[in-house]
Amino acid sequence: MEDKTYIGGIASGIKSLATGLKTTMREFFTPKITEQYPENRQTNQMFERFRGSLTMPHNEANEHKCIGCGLCQMACPNGSIKVSSEMYETEDGKKKKRLVKYEYDLGSCMFCQLCTNACPHGAIAFDQSYENAVFNRAKLVKQLNREGSKVAEKK
Amino acid sequence: MFNFTTITNWLHSFLTTTCGFAEWGAILTESVLVALVIITLYAVFAIALIYMERKVCAFFQCRLGPMRVGKWGLLQVFSDVFKMLTKEIISMRQTDQFLHNLAPFLVVMASMITFACLPWNQGAHIIDFNVGVFFFLAISSIGVVGILLAGWSSNNKFSLIGAMRSGAQIISYELSIGLTMLAMICLTGTMSFSEICNDQYVNGWNIVRGHVPAVIAFIIYLVAGNAECNRGPFDLPECESELTAGYHTEYSGMHFGYYYLAEYLNLFICAGMASTIFLGGWAPLQIAGLDGFNAVMAFIPGAVWFVGKAFFVVFLLMWLRWTFPRLRIDQILSLEWKYLIPFTMVNLVLMALCVAMGWTF
Amino acid sequence: MSEDLNKTAQSQQAASATPAAKPAAPAAAKPAAARPATPAAPAKPAVNEMKPKQVEAAKLHDELKRLHDQEGMDFLLSLTGVDREDDGLAVVYQLENTTTLKQAILECVVTDRENPLVPSAADLWNIACTYEREVYDFYGIKFTGHPDMRRLFMREDWVGYPFRKDDETEKNNPLRMTNEPLSDTTTEYVLTEDGKVEAVEHAIFQEDDYVINIGPQHPSTHGVLHFRVALEGERIRKIDPVLGYIHRGVEKISEKMTYPQTLALTDRLDYLGAMQNRHALCMCIEQAMGVEVSDRVQVIRTIMDELQRIDSHILFFSCLCQDLGATTAFLYGFRDREKILDIFEETCGGRLILNYNTIGGVMADIHPNFVKRVKEFIPYMRKNIQEYHDIFTGNVIFQNRSKGVGVLSKEQVISFGCTGGTGRASGWHNDLRKLRPYAAYDRVQFNEVTRTEGDSFARYMIRLDEILESLHIIEQLIDNIPEGNFREKMKPIIKLPVGQFYSEVEGSRGRFGVYIESKGDKSPYRLHYRSTGLPLVAVMDTACKDNMIADLITIGGTVDYVVPDIDR
Repeated sequence: MEDKTYIGGIASGIKSLATGLKTTMREFFTPKITEQYPENRQTNQMFERFRGSLTMPHNEANEHKCIGCGLCQMACPNGSIKVSSEMYETEDGKKKKRLVKYEYDLGSCMFCQLCTNACPHGAIAFDQSYENAVFNRAKLVKQLNREGSKVAEKK
Repeated sequence: MFNFTTITNWLHSFLTTTCGFAEWGAILTESVLVALVIITLYAVFAIALIYMERKVCAFFQCRLGPMRVGKWGLLQVFSDVFKMLTKEIISMRQTDQFLHNLAPFLVVMASMITFACLPWNQGAHIIDFNVGVFFFLAISSIGVVGILLAGWSSNNKFSLIGAMRSGAQIISYELSIGLTMLAMICLTGTMSFSEICNDQYVNGWNIVRGHVPAVIAFIIYLVAGNAECNRGPFDLPECESELTAGYHTEYSGMHFGYYYLAEYLNLFICAGMASTIFLGGWAPLQIAGLDGFNAVMAFIPGAVWFVGKAFFVVFLLMWLRWTFPRLRIDQILSLEWKYLIPFTMVNLVLMALCVAMGWTF
Repeated sequence: MSEDLNKTAQSQQAASATPAAKPAAPAAAKPAAARPATPAAPAKPAVNEMKPKQVEAAKLHDELKRLHDQEGMDFLLSLTGVDREDDGLAVVYQLENTTTLKQAILECVVTDRENPLVPSAADLWNIACTYEREVYDFYGIKFTGHPDMRRLFMREDWVGYPFRKDDETEKNNPLRMTNEPLSDTTTEYVLTEDGKVEAVEHAIFQEDDYVINIGPQHPSTHGVLHFRVALEGERIRKIDPVLGYIHRGVEKISEKMTYPQTLALTDRLDYLGAMQNRHALCMCIEQAMGVEVSDRVQVIRTIMDELQRIDSHILFFSCLCQDLGATTAFLYGFRDREKILDIFEETCGGRLILNYNTIGGVMADIHPNFVKRVKEFIPYMRKNIQEYHDIFTGNVIFQNRSKGVGVLSKEQVISFGCTGGTGRASGWHNDLRKLRPYAAYDRVQFNEVTRTEGDSFARYMIRLDEILESLHIIEQLIDNIPEGNFREKMKPIIKLPVGQFYSEVEGSRGRFGVYIESKGDKSPYRLHYRSTGLPLVAVMDTACKDNMIADLITIGGTVDYVVPDIDR
């Protein structure tokens, strides 16, 4: 506590209050910072590194790069990824593994990027979606490989 | 200047002569009509104030405030009120049910009666008699009973602390309010609100006439009035960060709504009183020597002047509220007893001196 | 400035004389990429390896007392319980002398798993009281002579000790549908002359105390924290913090995870120190493995840490304003914090859960816009700090509410181990960035902001001044981020050598330490975080005594704890 006289205390107190009032009055007229979501849905652009949810990019021929090795599944700390693969025989008689179903549970994902880092082929990536609310938890479990898709042949 | 008595006289004669009501019947009908008007106005002003508070607060905070319901969120408060009306009033075990249910009505009743004291226009006073100021002070104190009862009957420790704080705070600050009003009564020489306004219409606004002591009284009135309304920075009784919601923690639905309503109307009443006593009530702005200007000003109806001034004071109070942090209970009391009371007393003497020596405009 | 440099130099010398927990030594082992892929066993001993001195339980208290009284070990940095399975239960004490910075590490192992007894150090360091409760809670080690041997985090009706390796937690503790019991008494285990243990009951509150619950759901406890407050009118007689409402067992979960996986949880401890927490864990693992990260990474980590510190301090300001009822100032703080979060989001992809540091570097190189944005932010923030001072600091109401409120003496903060701004407000020079510079702190100039008043206002001013210092640090680094790898190439499976390792950083609210005990596996055998918030909550009773309820809010706001960091 500073030593102030009765009147001096009042004067400095009022001065400090007036400074505060001046500050808020100045802000009263400054441009507002509110972002009006969802009105700005069209223009709102997330940063490209933003981690919305895991996706498996497909090209125009409905091909992805996943070979079903399961490294992402092993890397995931929460067990959010389930990779089902099967063995099949190629035309030249070699046994190869291919992806059947790639299940991803958005509900338990904590976006740690270990799966994308672990992937040797860059088959999975995070997208910039942010409207992920659903009414049923089961809907958060997504299949990332599309129907009828297959592995892109290496060139 | 438009005088509202023409309308009231016409109505009275309409009821007695055209409709053939007996005198008592006409008065009864008029009372019912006035009561309905007052209740409607009460609700309308509450909605306007809540909307204003949300917008003003948002603008101080670099936000936009409600924007979603209706254009610029104009319908936001209506939807909030509708929500409040449809919510369940939860009754709790181990509370004093009777007092618990009574308390919000006391609060809202006190604020409605004081609301009826406001002079809206020349000739539009609802409750007006020669000791109007006393009546106003007395009725406004009923509200604190409601708050204390709410805290006590809720059987909640937070509520009780909030109510106790509120009791201490409101009773203390009533002194300041009374003393500042007394100072202005010194100047006007009457306790009737209608005459206070008439006097200011004729002689000019009190804040100008009373110059220095009136300005001091005005500032102190604003501080004390803010405290009386339990609004920030004096919102200790319900201070959110300490006592969650203070005395109305346990209230739900429209019972809570009454407190909410009363809080905003008390704000308006406080501002309305400030405009009545200091800023001329419904009296228009008149500047000696500028006749054309004065004529234009006098053309604007008194009710507009009154409400306009009241909202100006409301804005001042909101500005204070959204700028300052909250005080602590001991600081609130020391502000009152160590600073405001001595100042109001000195101010009262100063005002009396000014009036006695004729140093007024 | 030259004085500061001298001080730094001295502290560096002092640090190098310390046997354990050396700075992030630039002279560590070779880069990881060049090393053979054999199981991790660095040629040199890791710089952060701890060599605790073994002490028997019977002699422990005498030894601790000797260190405390004669060697001036007045700061109990950390106290960690470890379950060594067949070798018994261990308690690791880390002590520090706050003037010479000399450290001592003791370890006490008890083999009796049924009734393990260790003498309490609560009479030497106040914070031991809380730390020992944590160890008792998780490992069942009873500290004899401890006045308050209750569980700290788990429910009082919890069965078993969840951090023991053989605990059948799930089986013993089905989901309980009853309310949590809260006892009004505490138990003290007293060792009698003939070697037996007697339980003595103490009442927490007195008969006529008016006890109110602040929390667990309360607007100003900054999370799910519960204070039982005994009042006398508006005055506080005693505070009994009840913790653990959001205890997730991060340390226990980590024991089942690989090292890269454990990283993901650090962001969820003190979410306002996400960068620094993760930095500490990465640094601990890197130092233990003998990996040296590039200069570029060091600088990026430093900048990010400081941005995070600014972020945290702005939030501190905002929340304090909100707690004291100045809602407008609260939003001004959030308006500015948004800028930092945007910077974070652009580079890290996250705003709160940043997920940026990783073993051997950082997840991704800084975004091309990063430098530009940070440079825009620095003058912007400087301008707005002035606005904070205008609207809040100078305000007579705030000054009256904070000056002289909740005064903590230097001895008290050291004894309670309150590091960070709370300690510095009481005159304790505890800034790790100065004491033992790590990352790039040795190449920047900045002041360690300290004050001597120890009241709420000092704690508040420390934070605002630290924002300016952080801006100054960033300013020095932002223009010369050296070229280099943003991430060293690591082996797919990361294993630590056998041993105990400890590294710490200066977090947003104090010294955040990571203790790893490794058996050479790909998961930590025991991972312990030195929480920055736990001492801050422990000190609340002392700070609030005889103050008013409203002051509890002010003090709680200014000591600045974050609950997920306390309830790990």
